[in-house]
Amino acid sequence: MNSDPNLSSTGPKPHLNPYLAGVLLGLVLLASFLTLGVGLGASAGIARAGASLQSCVMPRHVADSVYFGAWGEDPLRYYLVFMFVGTLLGGSVSAILGRRVQPQLERGPTASRSRRILMALAGGVLAGFASRVAAGCTSGQGLTGGAMLATGSLVFLGAMFVSGYAVAWFVRRQWQ
Amino acid sequence: MITTFFGQDALSSSPAFLVSLFLGFGFGFALEQAGFGSSRRLAGIFYFRDMTVLRVMFTAMFTAMLGLQTALALGVVRADQLYFLPTVYGAQLVGGLLFGVGFVLSSWCPGTAAVGLASGRLDALVFLVGAALGSILFNEVYAIVSPLTSWGDSGVSFIWTSLGISGPTFALIFSALAVAAFWGSEWIEKRVAGAGPYLGSPFLKAFSVTILVAALAVALLPPLDSAPVAEAPAGDFTEVGLLEAMEAGQDHIDPDELADRLLAGDPTLLLVDIRTPAEFAAFHIPRAANVPAADLPAFLAPHKHSGTIVLYSNGMTHAAQARDALARMGFANAYLLTDGLQGFFEQVLKPVSLRRVAVSEAQATRINAWRTFFLGGAPTPSASTAAPPDDAVRLVETSWLEDNLGRGDLRIIDLRPQPAYNGGHIPGSVRMDVEHFRGVIGGVSSMLQPADMITRHLGLLGVTRGVTVILVPTDKLHDATLVALALDRAGHDRYAILDGGWEQWVAEQRPTDTLLPAIAATDYPTPSGADLFTVDYRTVLAHSRNRTAIILDVRPPDFFSGAKSDEARAGHVPGAINRPFALDMSTNGAVARFRPPGELAEAYSRLIPSKDAPVVVMCRTGHQASHSYFVLRRLLGYRRVSWYDGGWSEWASRPELPIESAP
Repeated sequence: MNSDPNLSSTGPKPHLNPYLAGVLLGLVLLASFLTLGVGLGASAGIARAGASLQSCVMPRHVADSVYFGAWGEDPLRYYLVFMFVGTLLGGSVSAILGRRVQPQLERGPTASRSRRILMALAGGVLAGFASRVAAGCTSGQGLTGGAMLATGSLVFLGAMFVSGYAVAWFVRRQWQ
Repeated sequence: MITTFFGQDALSSSPAFLVSLFLGFGFGFALEQAGFGSSRRLAGIFYFRDMTVLRVMFTAMFTAMLGLQTALALGVVRADQLYFLPTVYGAQLVGGLLFGVGFVLSSWCPGTAAVGLASGRLDALVFLVGAALGSILFNEVYAIVSPLTSWGDSGVSFIWTSLGISGPTFALIFSALAVAAFWGSEWIEKRVAGAGPYLGSPFLKAFSVTILVAALAVALLPPLDSAPVAEAPAGDFTEVGLLEAMEAGQDHIDPDELADRLLAGDPTLLLVDIRTPAEFAAFHIPRAANVPAADLPAFLAPHKHSGTIVLYSNGMTHAAQARDALARMGFANAYLLTDGLQGFFEQVLKPVSLRRVAVSEAQATRINAWRTFFLGGAPTPSASTAAPPDDAVRLVETSWLEDNLGRGDLRIIDLRPQPAYNGGHIPGSVRMDVEHFRGVIGGVSSMLQPADMITRHLGLLGVTRGVTVILVPTDKLHDATLVALALDRAGHDRYAILDGGWEQWVAEQRPTDTLLPAIAATDYPTPSGADLFTVDYRTVLAHSRNRTAIILDVRPPDFFSGAKSDEARAGHVPGAINRPFALDMSTNGAVARFRPPGELAEAYSRLIPSKDAPVVVMCRTGHQASHSYFVLRRLLGYRRVSWYDGGWSEWASRPELPIESAP
């Protein structure tokens, strides 16, 4: 079997030129501005799924809570939830076309499975929490707010990279 | 011109959901194509191994930014059709710092994890579960962290305005930064990982040049702005061109359109009143600036290529001459108001009931919204009811009521709890609870019911149009004032509050009994358009932004300042002033009364410049604000008082609305 993915007919196809992928992403964002009147977002869809799941277990508690409660009886009836579902679909189609669907726990060569799961979970909790604090994530604040040149969104983006680089050194073994 | 779902307030409609699904599809597709379905690749940016994230993000931001600036400059989309993310410095700084740690630990972020999951990555699934848990955690500790989410709320703020340059100019600077970042990232990747595939490549050279040229072109683009007419004259300022523009009506803006844009708080609009200062002082359209014609070129110079300039005078002549002179000087964005102030009065401000041509239901709603906005909500007499004089008696004495007991045209409503009522009440009185008139509307609690529900209550109480309602409060005068507002909404103007209420009545040992009154239910007709005093958060937001009305927040000072809070966020509407409703009443034992009119008039004259100044009263739920409304509108005769029913309770739980809290 040919080990070079570029030449293989069964292995994953190479990714798109990042600059062209960026233009594509920017055009999708522009289309969102011009049709919805708002930008792209991802974290709100996850948060609303969380609210919905919690609601299955303790409906009264969620309905009475201040933050989730404001989302009404059905938190999933929200445009960003639909956008998140679309993101999963679009990602799937692209990955299938590119033969890049590979069920695996992606981790560095020396990182154990449990360590990787723990890191992904802890990072997820932090990112999910932080997205609610800032009302958006890399997509909703960074990309969207950045393209709109909103001052606060650029602060978010800057702060994200500052703390990211500051912590990266301490967890460098994860990917070495 | 594009109308967006946001602009139509239709983001929660099924078509918007479908569009979102498609856009999400494109989003996911683009992310996966970029290679963001792999956490190893995403992590690369933090170790300078693989700078793909930076390249994709910079390019995407630049593309959308340039597209958006172009669309705005060409008037393809207007700013009021877009949701601009507010800047909340504290929340975004802390959120960004926390998010960065989460990003580097997991090597995922929400959008990329979605395509990671789509690519079969189990660690992406773990991340998504964690992010949902993190959101739930946020909800659980919301009471503690909620001050953080509004910390440093500065409303909508653009990086370029703070730098004093235009959006397209900033996009040009950004393009230079992006090109530098691309070359820098390729170079650093080569140094660290021996990669940097595009360093010095013909592709990157061409791409860099394209970006710079595109940004330069947009920055130099002659801005046509959000002109009301898409085919507005772009540069033909010859006499023939002016005449052609005039004939085609391209030099006008209609009163309707002006009213809508003012109502929407359109920041690109510059309204100029060229009449004399005396005329301006007597009346002007809100947000207008008063500039003598001779000073126009100097005053308007900074706005030559930005926004829409609208000139008006009483009629057309003066404004048209000024507009043509400006056009010759190269102001492609100057318009005059069709038919001047006269036209504005006729088309926008004239009450529906006084119009000669019948108007549709939708147009009536639009006119009422304009009137509420521009006149501050002065109630209009509806065609079917005679307008009562403003000096109608609103407080009746206990002695008067005792003398008039048994009259068929009086209905006494006792607002005490049911056991107290059953234990003894004013003869012939019926019991109602203030809560009968309130409920959840559109998800907002404690909202005054719609007019048809109120008239149903009135019918069941046997009230007809000719009946005068006497409201009997306890020491909670605001129960009576809220019911008074309900009556106002139902168009029932015949009402008064019993001065001193039930407590005064019993203190004077006036007659009571325990009998139920004989009441025959009637069918009370529901008027349309009686309520012109209620405003929603959009109107309050416009007033807050444009400082077009005094926003009077009547909650206790601690809640106004934000020191105390029992709502989603603490503080007040930016620009609001505090005048606790309780200052308007005095209690003597159990008897509560409004303070003497002279004393109230004196206090409010220091807060509100004139009886015609627009005022919006608000509190937490609208209950206490009804007290201040009654004092201002009914006791003191302020003519342009509006009432924000949703109040702080609603405002605080809409995170997009700006707030202010005292230090």
